[in-house]
Amino acid sequence: MTDTRTRERQFLEVFQKVTKMVSMVLDHQQVMDTIVRTLPELFDVDACTIRLLDYSTNTFVLGAAHGLSLEYVSRQSIDTEETMALIKAGQPVARVNLDRDPSYQDREELFREGIKSILTLPILFQDSIIGIMRLLTRRHRVFSDEEISFSMSLAEQVGIAISNARMFKEMVNQVDFMQEVQALSKLVNSTLDLDTVLQTIVERVPRSMGTRACTIRLLNPQTNTLELVAAHGVSDNYLEQVQWESEDDIAMLLAGGSVAIFDVEGDERIKCRKHLVQEGIKSLLCIPIKVGQERIGVLQILSDEHHCFTSSEVNFAETVSEAGGTAIHNARTYQKINLLFNQIEENERFLADILDCIRPQLLVIDTEKHVVLANRVAMERLGRSEKEILGAEYSELCLVEGDNGECPVDQVLRDGNAVTLVHQVEQEDGVHWLERTATPMLDDQGQVQYVVEIIRDITTQRRLEQERMERVKLQGVVEMAGAVAHEINSPLFAALGTAQLLQEDVEDTEMGRDLSTIVRNLKAISQLTRKMTSMTGFKSRHYIGDTRIVDMSD
Amino acid sequence: MAEILALDDVQDATVLIGKILSKKGHNVHTFTEEDEAIEFAKKNRIDLAILDIKLKKLSGVEVLAMLKEHSPDMHAIMLTGYPTVETAREAISLGADEYCVKPIDRDELEEKVEKVLQTRK
Repeated sequence: MTDTRTRERQFLEVFQKVTKMVSMVLDHQQVMDTIVRTLPELFDVDACTIRLLDYSTNTFVLGAAHGLSLEYVSRQSIDTEETMALIKAGQPVARVNLDRDPSYQDREELFREGIKSILTLPILFQDSIIGIMRLLTRRHRVFSDEEISFSMSLAEQVGIAISNARMFKEMVNQVDFMQEVQALSKLVNSTLDLDTVLQTIVERVPRSMGTRACTIRLLNPQTNTLELVAAHGVSDNYLEQVQWESEDDIAMLLAGGSVAIFDVEGDERIKCRKHLVQEGIKSLLCIPIKVGQERIGVLQILSDEHHCFTSSEVNFAETVSEAGGTAIHNARTYQKINLLFNQIEENERFLADILDCIRPQLLVIDTEKHVVLANRVAMERLGRSEKEILGAEYSELCLVEGDNGECPVDQVLRDGNAVTLVHQVEQEDGVHWLERTATPMLDDQGQVQYVVEIIRDITTQRRLEQERMERVKLQGVVEMAGAVAHEINSPLFAALGTAQLLQEDVEDTEMGRDLSTIVRNLKAISQLTRKMTSMTGFKSRHYIGDTRIVDMSD
Repeated sequence: MAEILALDDVQDATVLIGKILSKKGHNVHTFTEEDEAIEFAKKNRIDLAILDIKLKKLSGVEVLAMLKEHSPDMHAIMLTGYPTVETAREAISLGADEYCVKPIDRDELEEKVEKVLQTRK
C-alpha cells in the first residue's frame, strides 16, 4: 500500500514536472531534448528517444535521443512492422526480453547497444499520431499496466508540449514572415526597375527562410520557355549549366500550384535534376509567380539540407511570390511605358528635325492665337528663342494684313478655309516677297483646332518671274524693232539714194541745200534703224504722263 | 562695163540702183519679181546680181542659190533691211561677195560694186 502510494506520488511528481515543462518551454526541440534527458531518471530506464512523423514521407524522423549511441539511433528501421502498425493505430507496445527473441529484427544493433526491453508509445495530439516515444532498458524490465498507462498519459502531455511548441514556433515564424513579407513588399514596390525587383527577391527570400539559394524564372511567351532572370546563392557553373528545358518540367511548374520537394535526388517529379544534385541541392520549393490568374514565372527556393517546408514557409513564399508578381508586372509595365515614351520622344524628335529642315517658316497657332509650335527657320527669322516664341501672342509676332485688311490667321479661324497671301517686307539685303499660307487643322467635329501657317520666301521665284517677263517684253521689242527697221530701210534706201542723186544735179543752189537737209535727216533715220536692228536689250525712259518709251539715245 | 541684175520687192529701190550704177557705165536690169529675174538670168550673161534678202515669194538667199546653180561665176551683193546672222552665214556660204545693210549710201554701193567687179578680172 505504502509502495503503491509512494509510486503514485513519484508518478505525480514526474507528471507535474512534465506539465510544468509543457507550459514553460516554447521551443519544441527544447521540449524533446528536456524530455529525453529527464524521463530515464524519473522512469528508471536507460534511454529515451522521440521521433516525429514526417507527413511528406510518412516516416518517423529522429527528434531527440538520450542514452543511446549515434550508430543505433541512425539505423534505417525503427521496429517490427507489427509494432509500427500498432503504434500507428495509437496503441502502446511493450517488448521485453528482446535479447532472447530470435525473430526480432536488427538483433545485431540491439546486442551491440545491450537493449533488452523497449516501451514504444504513440505521441498523440487531438487523436492524431504526431510521433513516437520509446523508453529503453539495458536490463530485463517488465512494464506494468500502471506504468504503461502512466507513460501513455505522459506521451500525451509530450504530444501537447510538442504541438504547442510547434504552434508557437509556427506563430513566431508567421509573424516573422509577415514582417518579412511587409519589408520585402515595401522594397520591391519602392522601385520600378525590373532587375532591382528581381534581385531584391532572390536575395531576401533565402535569408528569411534560412535556405541557401533562390532563383526566379520568367516565362517568355514568344518561346514558351522559362528564362532564368535572377539568382542568388548558386554557383556560376550551375547558372551556366542549368536548364529547365524539359517541357514536362515547365508544364509541371506552370500548371500546378506550389510544389515542395523534400528529396530532390529521389523525386521523380523533376526530370532534370542532375544539375541540382551537382550543386548540392537537397530540398526544393517551387512557387508559381502569378499576376491575377496568369502564371508568369516560377520562384524556386533551394536548400542544401533536407528541409521539410512547413505550411507557413510555403505561405510566406507564396505571399512573396504574389507581391513579387505584382512588382514584376508593374516594373514590366513601367518598362513598356518607358519604351513607348522613348519611341514617342524619338518620333517627336524626328518630326521636329523634319520641320527644322524645311526651308519655309512654319508656325502653328491655337484658337486663342497663341503660338504652339514654330520651326527653327521661323524662330531665326523672328529672332526669338523657342522659349520666347511658344505661347507668345501671334499678333505680336506677325503684323500682316490681307487685301481686306484682315490677318490671314483670323480669316482661317473665322471661315475655316485656307488663305494665301503674298506681301513684301524690307530686309537687310533688300525687299523680300513672302507668301503666307494659313491652313486650318480641324478636330473631329470639323471645328478649327489649330491654324498652320507656312511662310515661304518667294523672292527668287518672283525675280525669275520678272526676268522672264522682261525677256518676253524684250523679245517683243526686238522683233518690233526688226520689223520696223526692215519695213523702213528699203523705202529709206530709195529715198536717200534718190535724194543724193538729185543733190548732185542741183549742187550749190537753194534746192541743193534743201536736199542736203533731206539727206541729213534721212541719214539720221538710217542711224536709228541701224540701232533698232542691233538691239539686244533696252531701257525705257519717261515720255509724257504715265507713258514710257524705249530710250534710243545711246 | 558689167551686166548687173538688181532684184528688190520695192521698185523704187531697184530704180535707184539702176540709176546709180548706170551712171557708172554698167548695164543694169531691174526686177521686182523673182521668177522674171531668174528667167532673165538663165537667158543672159550676168556679171553681178544685187539681191534683196526679203522678196515677195522667195528669199534673196534662195534666188542666189538658183542663179549660182546656173552661173557659178556670177558675183553677188546681198542687201537687207534687217540683217541676221543666219541669212548672212547662208549667203556667204552660197558665194555672195558682200552682205550690205540698207539703207546703203550711194558711195558705199558704188565702192562695193567696183570692188566685187574687180575680182572678176
